[in-house]
Formats: sequence, C-alpha cells, structure tokens
Amino acid sequence: MLSRVIGWIDQRFPLTSFVKRELTDYPTPRNLSYWWNFGFLAGFVLVLQIATGIFLAMHYKADVNLAFDSVQHIMRDIKYGWLLRYLHSTGASAFFVVIYIHMARTLYYGSYRAPRELLWWTGQLLMLLIMASAFMGYLLPWGQMSYWGAEVITNLFGATPLIGDRVVLWLRGDFAVGDATLTRFYALHYLFPFLIVAMVVIHMVALHTVKSSNPSGINLAAKDNIPFHPYYTSKDFFGLGIYLIIFCVFVFFLPHLFIEPNNYIPANPLVTPLHIEPEWYFLPFYAILRAIPDMLGGVVAMALSVVIFAVLPFADRSSIPGGAHYRPVFRVMFYVFIVDVLVLGYVGSQAPIGFLVPLGQIATFIYFATFILLPFVSKAEDRWLRARGLPPELQALFEQRPPREKWLRK
Amino acid sequence: MRIAMKLLSACMLFWLVGGAYAAGMALNKVEVSVDLPALERGADTVIDTCTVCHSLKYIRFRDLAGLGFAKDKVQAWRGDSPMGSVIASKMTVDSALLAFGAVPPDLSLIAKAREGGENYVYSFLLGFYAAPDGMMTNHYFPGTKMPDALGIAGVTDAAQRALLEQKARDVTSFLVWAADPHAQERQTLGYYVIGYLLLLTTLLYFLKRRIWARLNTIQQNQHKE
Repeated sequence: MLSRVIGWIDQRFPLTSFVKRELTDYPTPRNLSYWWNFGFLAGFVLVLQIATGIFLAMHYKADVNLAFDSVQHIMRDIKYGWLLRYLHSTGASAFFVVIYIHMARTLYYGSYRAPRELLWWTGQLLMLLIMASAFMGYLLPWGQMSYWGAEVITNLFGATPLIGDRVVLWLRGDFAVGDATLTRFYALHYLFPFLIVAMVVIHMVALHTVKSSNPSGINLAAKDNIPFHPYYTSKDFFGLGIYLIIFCVFVFFLPHLFIEPNNYIPANPLVTPLHIEPEWYFLPFYAILRAIPDMLGGVVAMALSVVIFAVLPFADRSSIPGGAHYRPVFRVMFYVFIVDVLVLGYVGSQAPIGFLVPLGQIATFIYFATFILLPFVSKAEDRWLRARGLPPELQALFEQRPPREKWLRK
Repeated sequence: MRIAMKLLSACMLFWLVGGAYAAGMALNKVEVSVDLPALERGADTVIDTCTVCHSLKYIRFRDLAGLGFAKDKVQAWRGDSPMGSVIASKMTVDSALLAFGAVPPDLSLIAKAREGGENYVYSFLLGFYAAPDGMMTNHYFPGTKMPDALGIAGVTDAAQRALLEQKARDVTSFLVWAADPHAQERQTLGYYVIGYLLLLTTLLYFLKRRIWARLNTIQQNQHKE
C-alpha cells in the first residue's frame, strides 16, 4: 500500500529521487570532524525557537501595559509556560553559540573559499537576520534592559547623515520607544524566523551544489565520499544528544544566567539603568562601537565589523587549499582573531573606564587589521610554504592541474 | 582544534564567573531554604510586615494554599479578600508618595530583579545602621527610603542578632520562591530530562560507532586490493 502511494506521488512529484539525491545518498566527505555538526544543530535550534515561539505567542500580549505581566502570566499560570519561556530565552543564546562555532569552523578550515562564496554569503545574511530577530525579540518582555537596549540601539541610527532623526522615528514609530515600537517589533519578530527558514533553504541549495568542505581543504576523490545516511545522520543525532544535554543543563538549572536582573523590572522610560549592556552575543560588536570616539564613526565601524566577513573569499589569496590544516600562519591568525573577539566581548561587558578604553581600541584595531592583512599574509605564507616544500598530497594536487583553475574545471 | 575546545570552555567559564562578581559591595551569602516551615515563617513576616508598604502582585492567596501552607494560615492572611485576589499593599499609592516620595517596589520578582539576587535581599534586610548624624541608612542601598523593618540596627546581643538573621533568611527564602514559583518543579524535571538524555545519547553513540564500523571494514578491503 505504502509503495503504491509513494509510486503515485513519484509520478507527480520527485519525492523518492529527491530524498535519495539530497539526503540518503548525498555524497559527504568521510573525514568530517565533529565541528561539522554545528550546521545541523543550528537548524535544530531554529526549529525549536519557532516551535516554542508560536506557543509563547498564544499567551503573550504586545502592549506596553500588558507585556511584562503577560510574561509573568506565562511563567506562573500557564502549564509548562516556564519551560516554553526558558527554552526560548536560553535558545536565543544557544543559537548564537552554535552559529558562532559554525562560523569559527568555517574560518578555521577555510570553508568560505572558492567555490563556496555564495554559501558563505548566504550564511552571512542568515547571521544578520538572526541578529535582527534576537534584537527585536529582546524588547518583548518589556523589562528595563529590553526598553533601554532598544532605545540605545535604535538611537544609533540617528547617526545617519541628514535623515538620522527621521530614520529613528521611522524605526520606533514614535519619538521614543513605546507601544508603536513594541507592536512592530513583535510583528517582525514573528515574521523574521520565516525569512530565516527561506534563507536556510537557499543556504542548503548552495551547500548541495558545492558540497561540504572537509578538514584537509582538498576536494576529495569520489571514493572518499560516503552517503549522508546512515553515516552522518547517526553522527548528527549523537551530536544532537550531546548538545541537548548541555542545553538542558542551562534550561533547567541555570535559566537566569541569560536574563539580566534589570529585566525583571518593568520598563520605565524615566529611570535609566546605570549600566546599559546588550546581550552577550552582541558584546564584541558593542565594544567596537564604543572604541571609536565619534558616534557616526562608531556606528560605521560596528556595522563593518559584522559584514566584513563577506570579503574573506577575496582576501584569502593563498593557492594552498583550505584553511589551517596546511597553513600554520593562517592558523596563528585564526587564534589571534578568536582571542581578540573574546577580549572585545570582555571589554563590551564592562563600563568603559581606565585601561579598558585603550584595550578596546587595540582589540578593535587587531580585529580589522586581521582582514586587511590577510591578502598579504596569505600570499607571503603561500610563497614561504612552496619554498619550504609542500607535502606530497598537495604536490600531487598541483601537478594534476594548474592551481588557479582547479575548482573551475569541476 | 584541541586548543579551540579549551578556549571555548575557558570562555564559558568566564561568562559564568563574570556574572557573579558584577555587584559593588561584597554581599553576605545566604543559603535559602525550600522547606515548607521556613517558607511559611517567611510568608508570615512578609504579609504581616512587608505588605504594609509593598505588594506582591503576581502572588495570589490561592498560590500560597497550593504551595501547601495550612488552610487556616492562608485564611488568616487573606481575611475578607477572596482566594483569587493578589497580595496587595496595605498602603495606597497616594499615601506612599506622601510618606516616601516614591512607590515601594512590588516584591514578587525582587529576589531576581537585583544584582546579587537572594544575597542582595538578605544583605539589604540586615544592612541597616544608624549613620553618625543619626539618620538610618543601609550598607547596600545608601539613602534608601525603607525603614529598618526587622529592627537590626543597634542590635548588639548575639542571640537576638541570630534570631533576626534567621528571620531575614526566611523572608528571603519566601521571596525567592515568589520570584520563581516553579523552580523546584523545574529542577526535579531537569534531573529526569538529563537522565533520559544521557541514556539516549549513550545509545546514539553506540549506534553511530556501529554504523561507522562498517566503513572501516570497507576501507580494509580496499587496502587489501
């Protein structure tokens, strides 16, 4: 019976062939490490955020007089409302942990390099959409930090030359963050996840066109690929188990870690908190904003720090394939960059006083210098590695075909 | 990527520790209680003393009965008000403004709404002292409008002090419950969830190993060829 139904569908829709080509038989490099689990995990987190979000939306009230109370109603009176809410609020942080690791893996192994530029850029767009969703979602509990965070961030758009004030007014729908802002952020916070889903589909189409990279950075021969199912389905589900254990420790035992004490106080436009601080996942960018003394300059630097990752496919000019595996200098740059981002995160979490000011500026300088130096460093490293002598597998690769066109011929 | 793993865990630790040290003056640590008698003593003090000025607008008398407090106790607390009514302040907004120039904050979430959480509440309750000019003030909130509700300032007798510390601990315990009434249920469920996940993940690990073992046999055969 089932096979007849599937047969009926297959005559009208390529179900079996699609599943076979894109899932079960989809060729995947056999040498992927556990760092390749994070794309799947990001997809899982997205689904969980949407699922919990829809149920939260059934009880939440987007109205300045009701929003804070409705969150408490969810936390106290709704059956397992606290679970939904903590899954969602902890899930936001988990989302950033997962996509930041996913991005760091892409950087470390040079997965952004040709022919995966579009894969990388669609990933960048995903990150921007996730950041926007997180920012708008953070306003909804209508606590003090929600309110003042939105106030400060929307205010940044006032730095736009000539039309700054009008842009801020347009974003808020009022002269200050208020009911108009809350309702539009709520509407958009419900819309954006579906834009993210659409972008994920595009991301997957790009991935399945160019296929996964792998730790060596060398395109593997057909015999070194294995079908996605059951090898990577089993590996992804094991990874998911590990992820869920860690995630649930935070959800059930440390859910307040990601909720500022100030956000348990209802929003009050008349009382400014002493120290306004964004969520941890925005802190490095926030530190870059504050490192530049001029407001417009700071805003531009912050925006640039988020989108600058897009230049990487061009900035990396090495002819050695992949990332850190065959490239020691690149590896050092990677670690310097990661440490630098952590330093920026720390600086962003502190009040800008004393040595933290120059520290933030130096870290900002190193952040951008990494991208500016990469073209020269990667070229110099290339020459140095070739002079030193390449390992046999790379030697063989270059003898096979001229390095510049090696992927075009595929 | 070993180093990356270490970096990652160091970073996680950093965030965990970082949050705890954010407050200014060192707070006294309190071990909040979750057992019913302590919560009931705390509720007694809160409803008799604190709600003269403060409200607990997210807590209904029904919730107190649901927690397991004695029926007649809840009956005495609520008086004529119905079970479904919230714990309101006995002071009107106008008289509060007249007396303090400010409306005393609602206490439902107070144990979460301050840097330091329960330790802050506990330290604040015991932090009152008379300044040299005779004015009452507080170590943890200089210039607070709140009077010394427990009467800790000027108490030198150790036994009496211990009694007040116990009272402050009970009040804090009750307020911690009020801020997150499902905390106990959450943790209990948490142990089951984590236990289940550990079991499931172990099984998934062996499943994965078994599936990938096929690959090694294939590889060995290839080498033989």
